[in-house]
Amino acid sequence: MLKSNPGLALSILIALAAICFALFSGEPYYVQVIIWVFTNAVLAVTLRFVLLIGELNIATAAFFGIGAYATAVASTIYDLPFFISLLAAPIIAGLISALFGWVTLRTKGPYFLLISFAFTEVVRLFYTKSEFLGGNSGMIGMFPPMALNDYFPAIAITILTAILLILYLTERSNLGRVFKAIQNNEDIPRSVGLNVIALKVLCFVIASTAVGLAGGVHAYTNSVIAPADFTFFVAVLALAYVKIGGEAHIAGPIIGAAVLTLAGQFLHSFGPYENIFYGAIIIGALLLVPGGIVGLGARLRTGTFKGRAER
Amino acid sequence: MELQVQLLMNTLQIGSVYVLFALGLTLIFGVMKIVNFAHGTFFTAAALIVSTIMIWGVDTMGLSIWLSYLIAFVLALLVVCLIGFVVYVFGFQYFLKDLNGSFILSIGLLLLLNGTYLILYGGVPRSVPDVIPGNITILGASLTLQRLLLMIVAAIITLGLYILVHRTKLGLSLRAVAEDQEAAMLQGIPYRRVALYGFLIGATLAACAGALMATVTPVTTVIGDDFLVKAFIIIIIGGLGSVVGAILGGLLIALIESFGGYYFDPSTATLAMFVLVIVLLLVRPQGILGHAEK
Repeated sequence: MLKSNPGLALSILIALAAICFALFSGEPYYVQVIIWVFTNAVLAVTLRFVLLIGELNIATAAFFGIGAYATAVASTIYDLPFFISLLAAPIIAGLISALFGWVTLRTKGPYFLLISFAFTEVVRLFYTKSEFLGGNSGMIGMFPPMALNDYFPAIAITILTAILLILYLTERSNLGRVFKAIQNNEDIPRSVGLNVIALKVLCFVIASTAVGLAGGVHAYTNSVIAPADFTFFVAVLALAYVKIGGEAHIAGPIIGAAVLTLAGQFLHSFGPYENIFYGAIIIGALLLVPGGIVGLGARLRTGTFKGRAER
Repeated sequence: MELQVQLLMNTLQIGSVYVLFALGLTLIFGVMKIVNFAHGTFFTAAALIVSTIMIWGVDTMGLSIWLSYLIAFVLALLVVCLIGFVVYVFGFQYFLKDLNGSFILSIGLLLLLNGTYLILYGGVPRSVPDVIPGNITILGASLTLQRLLLMIVAAIITLGLYILVHRTKLGLSLRAVAEDQEAAMLQGIPYRRVALYGFLIGATLAACAGALMATVTPVTTVIGDDFLVKAFIIIIIGGLGSVVGAILGGLLIALIESFGGYYFDPSTATLAMFVLVIVLLLVRPQGILGHAEK
């Protein structure tokens, strides 16, 4: 498989390099930035995964938070072991997303967009009002076990890479083709006897489980989580990664996440201008580079560089 | 009894602003098939202009409060129309009927404009002087005249919009475009121009809401964003693109907020709204008055 797919081989090599860097480098800041890049890549890729069935899922941000809170509750309140706490994240996120998706995926387009947005904000409101979950200040004290402490960044990157790989393979499988068929015209898969609603829910649950696990990893890497970390803005940034990287291929959101996360490290010094800068980047990329970085690469390769006239 | 009347008054006050805000959103959705996340920035811009101009007019120029509010109100509508025109011509017109593209464009605008407001206006909330001081007592419930004025003006604007949409030629073309854009174009309706008008009317409605709200609450640069989540819930309940749905939805949400907020607490009320939306989606996915999507 790797021989016929140099892009995949290269990506795995880059991930291995990142893991080695996390294992042997003594620079905690750079390791932290690498984990951010991978976490943001998972957020962007899961957002794009639901775009495969044609729905824009702001609730990505909510399930990221639900995963993080699930892990935090399991490890700090119930004192469960490390791996079980980590596993709580995808399980809880998956269960809630199945319920939420089963109700809401009967709607589509703008209705789903708005309801997922409202869900994200309401879940965040719920955290702030829940004494059990630490209210506005959130939860603290999620630490990996002492024995694993030195290896934890490497473990985190490995888990995040595995999520990306599994989502990639799922997209390339027959299931992924069915998802794309639903996006193109859902009546056709339905006409051959497929249960379109169930398939949509499945797609949604896969994405939410994946992003939930990333949330669990986030809880352990940060040790502190608060409701303010999980606003709808998380999904907005993820969408910016997707748009700037390009949504035609799974590499797009990953590249977008890497570029913007690294750029963001410099932007922090801009103060109030940071938002203006992000806004300008998003608008500029949308208007001037419609296919994103991946689309730009494809157009350069085929020599059809015509700017936005292609839209 | 007095308490219930008081809560009902609160409902009408909050509701009138919600209705104006949601009407703009639903109108823009109906005509352009996009969800404008930057809608709150129109509201904010108007509120910021009103507070700046009023304070300047009264303190520096020595104008009467009435006159300076009137000047500020008109100026706010003009500036918001201009902002709306610029973002439509340079952005939204390329993303008609493109839900994902327009979403990210409006988010980009939200960041850009909110950042700009913060730099121009600063982070300190400002209150404007009362346009008409005094209280009025209705059935034992007390109400400031200021808020009564707000409700009356909002009701007039809502009625005006209803007449515009249902009784004029422009309204007819807005509704035709909302129903079926291609059929409307075949009848000779200039879609792009009608979409621009729809967008500007929507922006102006948000500006009216903002200019009215500035008189009763301290103005900050994020004042419009608080309305966004509730406006979305309102238009889901009422049905996207439905004018009557937005009015009913706005009043219903205000009712839940006012009564739920008093008997329980504000966040319980918000959770209740969400539960209502979920239940409604189970029964009627297109909203109370929306049309099923093909």
